[in-house]
Amino acid sequence: MIHVKGLRYTYPDAELQTLHGLDFSVHAGEIFGLLGPSGAGKSTTQKILIGTLKQYEGSAKVLGSEIRQLGTDYYERIGVAFEFPNFYNKFTVLENLRLFRSLYKVDTINPIELLSDVGLEEARNLKVSQLSKGMKMRLNFCRSILHSPEILFLDEPTSGLDPVNAQIIKEMILKIRATGTTVIITTHNMQAAEELCDRVAFIVDGQIKLIDSPRELKLRLGTKQVRVEYRDGDRLRAKEFDLTGIGSNEHFQHILRRYPIETIHSSEATLEEIFIRVTGRSLL
Amino acid sequence: MKRLWAAVQFDVRFQFRHGFYTVYVLVCVLYWVLLYFIPKGHKETVTMLLTFSDPSAVGLILAGGIVLLEKDQGIHASLFATPLRLQEYLLAKAISISLLSLASAWAIHGVAIGLSDNPLLFSTGVALTSSMITLLSIGVVANTQSINGFILLSQLYALPFVIPLLGLFGIVSPYLYAIIPTTGSLVLLRSAFESVSYTEIAFALLILLLGNYFVFTWARRSFSQKIFCN
Repeated sequence: MIHVKGLRYTYPDAELQTLHGLDFSVHAGEIFGLLGPSGAGKSTTQKILIGTLKQYEGSAKVLGSEIRQLGTDYYERIGVAFEFPNFYNKFTVLENLRLFRSLYKVDTINPIELLSDVGLEEARNLKVSQLSKGMKMRLNFCRSILHSPEILFLDEPTSGLDPVNAQIIKEMILKIRATGTTVIITTHNMQAAEELCDRVAFIVDGQIKLIDSPRELKLRLGTKQVRVEYRDGDRLRAKEFDLTGIGSNEHFQHILRRYPIETIHSSEATLEEIFIRVTGRSLL
Repeated sequence: MKRLWAAVQFDVRFQFRHGFYTVYVLVCVLYWVLLYFIPKGHKETVTMLLTFSDPSAVGLILAGGIVLLEKDQGIHASLFATPLRLQEYLLAKAISISLLSLASAWAIHGVAIGLSDNPLLFSTGVALTSSMITLLSIGVVANTQSINGFILLSQLYALPFVIPLLGLFGIVSPYLYAIIPTTGSLVLLRSAFESVSYTEIAFALLILLLGNYFVFTWARRSFSQKIFCN
């Protein structure tokens, strides 16, 4: 679906290169995360993949074609939702979607249906300036999938959202993936990436440090321990056990039998901890 | 063509929604009042001056204002992540603003003088002048970051285009600025009052079309470099 090889980019008038030879592939139907701190090169990579920056070096092929050779018909096949959900503020929700819909040749989804799917049907006649950030983000998502794109690019899809709206967006992303759409997420929100992505690439200083699935990373690079918190009379106690051979660990089983258990967790590393360990950098 | 038509329709609605049409009704009323008090002997010259300056002003101020509003609303990234081509975006602006210019030019001319002797040439002159200045304004706005910068720079860029007016007042020989495209605008607008030779018409159309082409190319390059790459 996407094949990137030796991708380099230097902004006009800039002395230093922003991307230093990226190599990665994205398979059809997967959710792929480009993760990294601000200024790492994520947005530049996305701008190249969506065809905004064409003066790149190396190769970036999407849907079988080199991006620099693609015309605007490319946008009939991809959808893009930028971090900031910008619309024509003096126009209503429905008027905005109808304008964007009118720019496609391919079949598009009825905007009312999309608005209904994301709980914005009641807001269809409100001006965009009257919407909350969460509503605008949902509308932003609707705009990006109006034409049922084969690939969907999402830049910081849960940025600045409260947990309820963030959850709505995550469910929408999983729903669109279920229809066969490939999703590329650019984010520094590791929790969202961990929940959504099949694979993630860590980008730092214009280079990819690692690509793998969040689960594999957590298993491979995390500590294989289980932590039990239990109540011993009035006191709350905690004990950690090696996961290897946990089924026959007498001490572990004794605690389970003898004391009321309050919490029990395997203590694999979070994606954020792994990122810091691998790259030596924090995400902010 | 479908996309261009959709973009033109939306631009007209955008201008209406932002009150540009209301402002233009007021401007036309102001012009009518002004022309009412102009003595008969000078009415044609003043009307021609207004029908020349008005489409230029519409193009220069409105187009820049619209693009600044769009910039402010951060709409360009999303707009150009659709199949809409940059040339369609620019043409839609030029067409929609030319329509407004045509309406106001006819409103001014029709009320002050009556029907034009040569409505087609008159309309072509207004539309091509308006579209050229609209594209000039978009090119300028792409190169500026603020409204103050736009106001200053747009006046500077528009200055050469008003030089042919010197000929209207007989100040300098018209041959000195014959290649400035707005010389063609004045010829076509003059056709509303007096007969103009075929050679003059052909030359006027040629330099106006060339002017539109060069300004369009420059605006497209400016927009592409300054707005897309940031």
